[in-house]
Formats: sequence, structure tokens, C-alpha cells
Amino acid sequence: MIDTSVGRVARPAPSTIQQWWVLTTRGITPTLRNGELLTQVAASIMFTIGFYFPLKQFMGVYAQGMSSYAQYLMPLIALQAIAFASVSAAFRSATDSVDGINRRFKSMPIERLTPLAARMSASMYRCTVALVVALLCGHMIGFRFYAGLVNTVGFCVLVLLIGAALSFLGDLIGTASENPEATTHLMMLPQLIFGLLSVGVQPAERFPSWIQGFVRNQPISQFVYALRALAGDSTPGAGAVKWSVVGPAVMWMVALIAIMIPLHVLVSARRR
Amino acid sequence: MTMTSGERKTAASVGLGDRRPAYGDARSENSPRWLLPHTAVLTGRILRRWSRDPTTLAETLFVPVAFLVTLNIVLGDGISQVTGQSALYGSVPLVAIVAAMSGATVGGIGLMRERDGGLLSRLWVLPVHRAAGVLSRLVAEAVRIVAATAVLMCAGLALGFRFERGISGAIGWVFVPTVFGVAFSVAVMTIALYSAKTIVVEGTAVIWGLLMFFSTGFVPLDQYPKSIQPVVEHQPVSYAIEAMRGLSAGGPVLAPTMAMVLWSGAIIALCAVPMAIGYRKASMRD
Repeated sequence: MIDTSVGRVARPAPSTIQQWWVLTTRGITPTLRNGELLTQVAASIMFTIGFYFPLKQFMGVYAQGMSSYAQYLMPLIALQAIAFASVSAAFRSATDSVDGINRRFKSMPIERLTPLAARMSASMYRCTVALVVALLCGHMIGFRFYAGLVNTVGFCVLVLLIGAALSFLGDLIGTASENPEATTHLMMLPQLIFGLLSVGVQPAERFPSWIQGFVRNQPISQFVYALRALAGDSTPGAGAVKWSVVGPAVMWMVALIAIMIPLHVLVSARRR
Repeated sequence: MTMTSGERKTAASVGLGDRRPAYGDARSENSPRWLLPHTAVLTGRILRRWSRDPTTLAETLFVPVAFLVTLNIVLGDGISQVTGQSALYGSVPLVAIVAAMSGATVGGIGLMRERDGGLLSRLWVLPVHRAAGVLSRLVAEAVRIVAATAVLMCAGLALGFRFERGISGAIGWVFVPTVFGVAFSVAVMTIALYSAKTIVVEGTAVIWGLLMFFSTGFVPLDQYPKSIQPVVEHQPVSYAIEAMRGLSAGGPVLAPTMAMVLWSGAIIALCAVPMAIGYRKASMRD
């Protein structure tokens, strides 16, 4: 008798959830071993002390109406920490693209979006670490939540959503450029440029008049306004939580994601 | 089988494995006379590679200019009011050194990619001077830093930065970031040879971020809390900035330059042996 069953064995039906989990741990496990978690923690500390100590005396007088400069600065610190965490996603996706592992995944029975979803969950893990460390550091320099539990949760959720949008942007740039060396420049300098040119360190009125329009309306400033309101203050200087304050931030994020999704589909469908 | 004595000798020495021309013999690739030509060829390779990647080129030369303009808009007026001296005398040097430090990552990642791609092992089995590999990378870094500093100098001049000490001061000024920048590159390359890629990118960013925030080019020294002022004052980036301030606006030059050279020398001395061993190891893996 010839065994004919060999060719007829049903193909295994891999579980998408399990694949996602395996690929997510692929992104997370190395961070515990190679010191990456440590750099992520160090970066959050760096942004807190690096903005607070040099600028406290220098800019503190302009943070009118707020109880302390730490309270004024905290939204920007959280945003910088989260941007650092998510821009490193760009480097990782560029490395994946150039090493050919994405092409390998395409030849395997994996849903098309699973690797991207796994990279995003690993990024969210980094963003969460960044946020927690930034809030701890913020507590030490005197930042407090004043606006109640709901708004505090809102603050954290908004920061993480921004982190998700930025991670997605980083992933898009990394996948599109396929050049890890070039994406390293996305770290720090551009994020510091946008951070310093926002209402995060000083009010818009302190900028030269020709650039005030940009400063007030650019996404980082809108995020800062929304986060400042959500964090609240012992004085009314932080602004009230209402749609006119939080709305623009949400709109910016929705717009960013709406533009990026089709772009990402386009870029990752490209064949080499 | 006929074999002349010369051929037999060659075959024998190949069999024995290691009878290469002695060091100092002009035929040996490790002869000092080959060091410069070999380094020049390899340096040209790296520089050509960078200059043909438009993203790297633009990011190395122009993102720092955008950062300088930003710093000048945000902190310029305040610092000028506090110190009575234009903030540009601190911020142009600061950005030049930041550009030198942040660009070192590109070299570090490039080194790792060439190790993983096998280029280093390929060069190792070719008759190339053993020191040319490392040296060419450092020369390429130096060229990159001088070019980026020159671009920043032009941007600074457009914003109102001036050399009060004339042309000799300007020439010295352009080369100050190179000294510390090359030392920093040595450190980044050493880290690159021993750790994961992400550490090279993120760890380096954290280190230069701290050096930038806590330097006399970011805000004046007396703006920092008393307890950390000594740290700010004596760290290498502050010394480099003060030396450049002295060369442009006038003021002490020798003391800060010496301190910066000492810092750079110490970093290079600390990294030299691990880097040489790491580079050899990276070149000899299969």
C-alpha cells in the first residue's frame, strides 16, 4: 500500500491572535535583555530634568496664572518622552524592512496586518513605559493632577493615543525609507524643534509675532493645550476641559491617522 | 612535476601559514607607508556613500540649521537680555557640537551594518593596512563635522553672529567641534561594536541630550540650580562652547580648549583598546 495521505494533510490553521502575540513578544523581549528598557527610562528622565532645570528660572516668570513651572511644563515633557519612544519605532521598522524579514513574513501564512499590529503593540509598550516614568519624574518636580479621576485618565489616554499616532508615523517613515541610518536623524532634533516652537515652554505671546500663528496652531501646541486642561491646576490658569480646548487635539490625531493608513497600505504593498 | 625553487618556497610558506613580509617592509600592507593611501581610499568610500544619500546629506547639514533658528527664536532674546551678549555666541557652537554628536550615530549604525553584511571581514582578508579601517571612519567623521560646522557658521552669520577676532579666530572656531566630535564618535563606535543597534541610536541620543541641556550654550550658567552648576561648567560640551565663544566674541580660549582636549583625550584613551579589540573581533567573525 502506498501512503497517499502525505499530500492531503490539512494545512494548519494558524491563529492570528497567537501570531500577533509571538511577534509582539519578539519586539518586547529583547528590550529586557539588551538594555533598551533602560535607555527608554533614561530618556524620560532626561526630558524632565533637561527642560525643567535650565528653563525653570529662565521661563518660569512667563508661565502666568499657573501654580508652578512644573505644572506648566509637564504636557511637553510627556509629549517629548512619548515622541522619543515612538520615533524609535521608525528605526525598528526600517531595520525590519532592510533585513528582509517583512518579505519573509509575506511568504508565510500570516495575515497582512499582523506584523504591523505586532510592531504597534510593542511601540505601545514603550510609550507606556515612557509615560509612567515621565509622570513619576513630573511628580518629583512638583507636577500634580488636579482635575479629578476622569480627566486624569483622559490625560493618560490622550498621551498614549498621540504615542500611537506618532509610532504609526515612525513605522511608515521607516518602512518607506528602508534606510535605518537615515531614520536615526529623526530622533531628537526634529522633535526638539517642534517641542521648542510650541506653547509647551512659554506662551505664544512670547514668540516673535511672525511665527505666533504657527506656534499656536501646530499640533504639539494643540496637544499641550488639551493636556494642560486635562491635568488641571490649583489655579484656573490651566484652562477648562471643553471641546474648544480638547477638540483640536483630537481632530489633529484623527487627521494624522486618516492620512497615514492609506499611505501605509501603499508603502507596505510595494514589491521589491 | 617541475617546480622552480622560488615557487616551491612560496608553496611552502603558504602551507606553513604565516610567513608574510615583516612589518616595516614596504611589501607588507602593514608598512607605515601604506597607512595614508589606504586610509584615503577608505575615507573616500565612506564620504561618497554619505554624499550620495540625499536624506543623510540633508539631515546632517540642514536639520541643525533649523534647530539653530529654533533656539534663537525661543531663547535668543531672553539670553541676550540676561547676559548683554548675543545668545548666538553660545547657541551656534552648541548646535555645531550637537550636530557633531547626533551625526556620530550614522557612522555607528553604518559600522554595524557593514559588520553584519560581511564587508569588514572582506577587508580584513585583503592587503589593507590594519589601522586604515578605523582611521578612515574617524577621518570621515572629522570631514563631516567640519562641513556641518561651516554650514552652521554661514547660518549664524546670517542671523547676526560675528567674529570679533578676525579670520584666524574663525578658522580655529570651525575646528573646535571636530576635536570633541571625533572623540564622541570613538565612543559611539565602541558602543556599536559591543551592543544592540537600538542602544547605539537611543543611548547616544540620551547622552548628547543631557550634554546639550546641561551646557552653558543652552542657557547661561547662573540659570542652573547652584548644586549642578559645577557639573554644567566642567563638562566637555560647555568647555568646547566657551572655547568657541572666546574665539568669536573674545574671552579666554586657552583654558577651555585645554580642558576640552583633556576630556577628548580621556574619552579616546578609555575607548581605544576596547575599540581595537572589538573592531578586530567584528572583522574576524564568519
